[in-house]
Amino acid sequence: MMLGVSVWRSLVQRCVVRGLHTGSACRAAEGGEAMGSPTFDPSVLQMLVCPLSRKALRYEKSTNELINYELGIAYPIVDGIPNMIPQDARMIHREQKSKDPDHPPQ
Amino acid sequence: MGAPLCSVSRLCRASWRAVRPGCQRLHQTQPTGKETHFGFQTVSEEEKGERVYQVFENVAKNYDLMNDSMSLGIHRLWKDWLVRYMNPTPGTQLLDVAGGTGDVAFRFINYVQAQREKIRRNKLDHQQNLSWSDISMSYSQEQKGSLMGSKAVICDINKEMLKVGREKSLQLGYSEGLSWVAGDAEELPFADEKFDIYTIAFGIRNVTHLEKALEEAYRVLKPGGRFLCLEFSQVNNPVLARLYDLYSFQVIPVLGEVIAGDWKSYQYLVESIRRFPPQEEFKEMIEDAGFFKVTYHNLTSGVVAVHSGFKL
Repeated sequence: MMLGVSVWRSLVQRCVVRGLHTGSACRAAEGGEAMGSPTFDPSVLQMLVCPLSRKALRYEKSTNELINYELGIAYPIVDGIPNMIPQDARMIHREQKSKDPDHPPQ
Repeated sequence: MGAPLCSVSRLCRASWRAVRPGCQRLHQTQPTGKETHFGFQTVSEEEKGERVYQVFENVAKNYDLMNDSMSLGIHRLWKDWLVRYMNPTPGTQLLDVAGGTGDVAFRFINYVQAQREKIRRNKLDHQQNLSWSDISMSYSQEQKGSLMGSKAVICDINKEMLKVGREKSLQLGYSEGLSWVAGDAEELPFADEKFDIYTIAFGIRNVTHLEKALEEAYRVLKPGGRFLCLEFSQVNNPVLARLYDLYSFQVIPVLGEVIAGDWKSYQYLVESIRRFPPQEEFKEMIEDAGFFKVTYHNLTSGVVAVHSGFKL
């Protein structure tokens, strides 16, 4: 009985919360860092690797991507969440790579 | 440079998601020609991945509401049970796969905080006369934060589910110890031997290649690490099984239509539960992936089961 009551209460609460938050969710930009949206937490980099080569990645702040220079793949970070799905990743152009092959930007 | 590119194309051939319009993709999906099941339908492996993605994209916003209404809130008790059974100590590194809405991770953080509080109180009880060195020690430990280094990484292939989960974490006021990553359970983006515990709650039946997901779980766990899976299973009581069938096929899709406006997704959820291997068979699969001491516990007469295994 108690469970029923608490579940009902949480359902009602959630409906109210959802009603209030749909607006803000829609405003968040799909492809980039919207104002006030959480930023990437670099501590997770200690664990992250490229799922294809299992090599460490570099965080490129200017483009907000995690980059595997060896394979030339850039994984986007959307709203602070790194997207490590190869199908969503971007190939880095060769010209860009040849600019600074040995010392990629930190 | 030749070798790595080779390995990309080899791995890409095995991947199954289709290219969606509007996104710049790394490579096109190539059909593997193999078939699998999507609920009770037989589909190609590529199609399954795409359709599962659509299901969870559709249900993400109503996911918690639907879980509560379909299970009458019991899913909360199952998840509570899982975390109590896990019994994580402060410092534990958790990877929660397919944990998009954060249900397991939030419980994990709460549990670790409670454990840490218990340890702190015990210590206080034992140390009535503190020396200066004890006091400075306690300050240096405080700096590690209220989780003593514990971390939960939530990995889900579905970005919608992650978005909902992260919003929820902000609403609930979780500020530390949580990281959100979009990744595939079959190709985890984590280095070897990084985690103490791997959990997957109500996720593994949606994975196209179960054995691949289990192999990846084994890879990312530290030696001594534990695999824990909470999943729907086979009801062992025949009377309850009849009632459960009736409820699953007659009530759940209707609830899905009424509450979330989505009959098909919930029809799939029910069917996928029936297609998932029963307790013993799944236990053998976990053993085949290399885990030791594999056991399972039935909850609610086997409506769900928790499988556990260790990497030794």
